[in-house]
Amino acid sequence: MTITSNTSVTPAAFLRRWWPWIAIIAAALILPFILPPFRLNLLGRFLSLGIVALGIDLIWGYTGLLSLGQGIFFALGGYAIAMYLQLDSLEPGQLPEFFGLYGVKALPLFWQPFSSPWFTLVAIWVIPALVAGLLGYLVFRNRIKGVYFSILTQAALLVFFNFFNGQQKLINGTNGLKTDTASFFGQMVGSDAMQRNLFWVTVLLVIAAWTLCRWLTTGRFGDALIAVRDDEPRLRFTGYNPTAFKTVVFTVAGALAGISGALYTVQSGMVSPQFMAVPFSIEMVIWVAVGGRGTLIGAVLGAVLINYAKSLISEQLPETWLFIQGGLFLLVVTALPDGVVGWWRQGGPGRILAMLGSSPASATYPGLDLDPDVLAEKRAIEGRARAQESGASQPSGAER
Amino acid sequence: MKPLLELQAVSVSFDGFLALNDLNLALAPGELRAVIGPNGAGKTTFLDVITGKVRPTRGDVLFRGKSLLGISEHRIARLGIGRKFQTPRVYQNLTPRRNLELAVKGSHSPFTLLLGRLSTEQRDRVQELLAVVGLEANASRPAGSLSHGQKQWLEIAMLLAQDPDLLLVDEPVAGLSDEETERTGELLRQLAGDHTVLVIEHDMDFIRELDCPVTVLHEGHVLCEGSMDEVQHDPRVIEVYLGVEDDDVSAGAPSAVASDSGSHQEIP
Repeated sequence: MTITSNTSVTPAAFLRRWWPWIAIIAAALILPFILPPFRLNLLGRFLSLGIVALGIDLIWGYTGLLSLGQGIFFALGGYAIAMYLQLDSLEPGQLPEFFGLYGVKALPLFWQPFSSPWFTLVAIWVIPALVAGLLGYLVFRNRIKGVYFSILTQAALLVFFNFFNGQQKLINGTNGLKTDTASFFGQMVGSDAMQRNLFWVTVLLVIAAWTLCRWLTTGRFGDALIAVRDDEPRLRFTGYNPTAFKTVVFTVAGALAGISGALYTVQSGMVSPQFMAVPFSIEMVIWVAVGGRGTLIGAVLGAVLINYAKSLISEQLPETWLFIQGGLFLLVVTALPDGVVGWWRQGGPGRILAMLGSSPASATYPGLDLDPDVLAEKRAIEGRARAQESGASQPSGAER
Repeated sequence: MKPLLELQAVSVSFDGFLALNDLNLALAPGELRAVIGPNGAGKTTFLDVITGKVRPTRGDVLFRGKSLLGISEHRIARLGIGRKFQTPRVYQNLTPRRNLELAVKGSHSPFTLLLGRLSTEQRDRVQELLAVVGLEANASRPAGSLSHGQKQWLEIAMLLAQDPDLLLVDEPVAGLSDEETERTGELLRQLAGDHTVLVIEHDMDFIRELDCPVTVLHEGHVLCEGSMDEVQHDPRVIEVYLGVEDDDVSAGAPSAVASDSGSHQEIP
């Protein structure tokens, strides 16, 4: 309290406020030189999955739309970059190798714009966004929600999965498109130096995506999203059109999924219809649930930590991972409804410490001082005092 | 004077069950009107029809002389019709201030909310309404933690923030203390004049206090209209509220229906 009301910033206050960012930037700069290339590559991949998770947090955590079809947009972004890389590493007049296998002589029309890097950079997020926007608009306009929405997105996912699997002559069907042997700026995409650069690009884009989501969720727009989740009819009778809000936010989540898919593709070396497999899209939802719905940072942490755990555990005990993942999901559903980050913010670690016998320091009687009711009262009084202190100058300050 | 709101022979059928049956009603601008009726009389369906939630099977709803049929709920709300629900409906996870900031009059498009800021006028209006409903001290805690009465008042404040021409208020004093009830009545009487207010309520003392014309609904149509005293002494009203003795049912019921069909012709 004394720190925030003080206008001059002491170094200690600066550190206290910015330490998470300082830690992130330091880690991003140092990790590429201390982690072996294989581990760094894994971290980069999982960070890029954090972007699709951010999108899911936006539509599910804030707006209450549980989509089981984010794999569609993820894969579309992946295919866009893979098509560009396939074309970029060819000599003039050549065709990507797989076309020969199926007797295709000329480049299909829809491949042609992907020889342009600029078109590709835009297509990576605009194509998924358009597909998401169209699909979302049709679904939301017809007021399909809840579990019907989830089923519909999963059905759409299956349609896309089967379509991509069957198109050998257009996009190499089941085999997918390889990117690791393609060249980019004269370097192989799979090379260590290139992977290190891609890691940094991923870190920057995760931060950008987080900033975007943060901006979307803090103001009145974010309040409207929460209102859609909590009481959509009320919002409608206040003169809002929920269809517009849901379509906008679903489109943004689609664009984020596309960017995520493109980054994942270049770091894992290929894109295939497996990106649109049903279990993968469900896993995305689990990352967000475990990390913490409606927390944003929880989505990124969930994606990175669960996937890192998956790869570490699968190396040692390959058969156990699915059980562990299922157990994690059960744990979140039964004990941690707000995920790990939600639990942390509600003072969970302190409760565990108290359970283990080391009680936090208290000024008066611990039995009184640490009573949950007393603590709640104290928080309420402090909150009121703060509100009065900041007064009308900050009428809608951060309350979350 | 031309009515602000007019329901013309509105019927609503749910799978053959007539929730509203040939309902006629007109509200003059600035009027305060109470609607009462036993459970199942169609009071809530009546609001659903006006606000566009339910489309009438027959008949028409006119607001300022224009039909509301086929217009979506949010557009009807933007035309100037606000609604307070039976149970308080506020956004539980947002603070009262943020609840009001969402409701306050102005553009409600996603892009305005994203890129625009609240004008000073809107901010002042929110602050003023917080004071009107006595929630200034609680402006920064989640609305879900407010008491029932505070939620009722918050929802009324949200309705006022919308600044509609027509306020449809469904059971505003359910679960309120006597003092709160009195203040609510005072507030509604103040609003009438500048606004047109339609109140649905079960609490007869509250309606008497409002001192306004009363419309009695029964089985989806208007049974009678008049002042509270007239209505309370109308034998048909006594009959639908209290029931009649068994032998009177066969003789009394048809005559009540016959005199009803006369009663809606009195309505302009």
